[in-house]
Amino acid sequence: MAFVLTHLVPGDPAVANLGDRASSDPVAVKLYREHFGLDKPLPVQYVVYLGNLLHGDLGESEQSRRPVLTDLAEYIPATAELAITSIVLACLLGLTLGVIAALNRNNVIDQIIRVVSLGGMSTPQFWLALVALYLFFYKLSWVPGSGRLDAAVLPPPHLTGLFTIDSLAAGQYDVFVNAVQHLILPACVLAAFNMGLFTRFTRSAVLEVLENDYVRTARAKGLPERTVVFRHILRAASPPILTVVGLAFGNVMTGTVLIENIFSWPGIGQYSYRSATALDLPAIVGVMLFVAIVYILVNMVVDILYGVVDPRIRVA
Amino acid sequence: MSVAAISNPLASSWRRIPGAWRQPVTIAGLVIAAFWLVIALAAPLIAPADPLAQGAALYQAPSAAHLMGTDELGRDVFSRVLWGARISIPLAMLLVALAFTIGGTLGGLAGYLGGWVDELVMRAADFVFAVPTILLAMAVVAALGPGLFHAVLAVVLVSWPGHARVVRGLVRTTMQSEYVAVGRLLGSPTHRALVVDVLPNVAGPVIVLAALEIGNAILLLSALSFLGLGARPPTAEWGSMVSTGAQHFEAWWIGVFPGIAIVSVVLAFNLLGDSLRDAFDPKAIIKARGA
Repeated sequence: MAFVLTHLVPGDPAVANLGDRASSDPVAVKLYREHFGLDKPLPVQYVVYLGNLLHGDLGESEQSRRPVLTDLAEYIPATAELAITSIVLACLLGLTLGVIAALNRNNVIDQIIRVVSLGGMSTPQFWLALVALYLFFYKLSWVPGSGRLDAAVLPPPHLTGLFTIDSLAAGQYDVFVNAVQHLILPACVLAAFNMGLFTRFTRSAVLEVLENDYVRTARAKGLPERTVVFRHILRAASPPILTVVGLAFGNVMTGTVLIENIFSWPGIGQYSYRSATALDLPAIVGVMLFVAIVYILVNMVVDILYGVVDPRIRVA
Repeated sequence: MSVAAISNPLASSWRRIPGAWRQPVTIAGLVIAAFWLVIALAAPLIAPADPLAQGAALYQAPSAAHLMGTDELGRDVFSRVLWGARISIPLAMLLVALAFTIGGTLGGLAGYLGGWVDELVMRAADFVFAVPTILLAMAVVAALGPGLFHAVLAVVLVSWPGHARVVRGLVRTTMQSEYVAVGRLLGSPTHRALVVDVLPNVAGPVIVLAALEIGNAILLLSALSFLGLGARPPTAEWGSMVSTGAQHFEAWWIGVFPGIAIVSVVLAFNLLGDSLRDAFDPKAIIKARGA
């Protein structure tokens, strides 16, 4: 489906990629079309694409002139590192704020958290990124501005492609520190939206659980508040929260397009921006396919986790 | 018609709105939203300078003469921010209206007719949901060519499924409810049921969704402009102004103020939508929205 849609759009990739001069030369356009199989009818192109897909071949990027799969393999780890860090941050903050808001329902603290969480969801990420860069990089110089490592620092030996993990595995602690310094600001900016989302869903999920009799019983038994919150409330409230965390991966993908462009983070977001603006169809379809796969995988994990937190689902 | 009034849970929530309006957060949202609407209408009267005029000295920091400083071409940032309201807010409203007309019609048909229509519409919606919004929007704008109008089309394309889902869900639940069945037993034709019973029930949640969607639309439109795919310079559009600010780091006021404008408008609409959602049945909307 992604394939059909990207081909329906009326732009001409040959014109977009060859530049003005070359595209006025019919021979160049013809050669270009033949090279990428664009001269064949659409159904034929689709069958060829599917056939290649079976062998794990996503086609050749019309822009980098490399197989899309090679491109993806190069850029995915950077985005994965950024996305996972930001989701973890958003979870920690969002869950905490959500529980606090629910326990303080409708009083001042709840209202403040409500504005903070809605604020996180209302702030354009590209603007937040700039303000953060201006403050912490330009004014305070607490963090480096862009990229995954300082120019003078060599990447750690390739293991997972996540620089933080790879550097720890190789025992290069200075590289680890450098990677974390580069990671922290974009990850925080990226976390803002999902933090707001998680806070709101945690709040409403916890509110529903709070009214249950067993929570009152637990309190009446004199259990410490910590035990009540973690064992009785959070566990029962977790399925809807898990669902949102799964959905949040989509938001992160949207965010990475903007954030990676601003922080010169060499990941999928930047790659997809370059591909989209150059109408690099194989690359766009490749990214969409990758995102769809991640989406399915994440939701599978969420389904499995349902069973972990809620034994009733396991039995059913 | 008293039967409908008694068994209809949403009708009573209309009466609950006044309570929700009394919350300070709601009032804040209402005031800010109204403030920006007035600015959007009156920008030519309020703005001290022409948003495109390049008369003043370059890179002036905020001062009494230029409340928000001047930008890299000597334009008054304050005037540009005010004029920006005339672009973002009406466009966001227009595109939410478009997205609702398309999504609502398709969703309503899907919910009412069921069968293959339902299947077709919902699979198309699923597809749009599965692809990150900005990726799809970028691809569309890149294909059509950058420009504000194309950006609006792209945002409509990625946002209609939200409306379709809500309307479909509401139409389906309402069709199954007893008062519609009662209406049928009384011999009223189906299209009457749609107008009299279904429409009032769909209206509330749709208003909530619209308020929330206006915020999202402003965010997405300005993001596209920031990436250079929406409004083009020299247009005074907030997203592209932030983008200019990104290139002139030392002059923070060029990018910071338009960003604050975006945050305040979006936050205002989100606060409004949020309060309205509390006033209506919150679960109906969350469930129908699927998120």
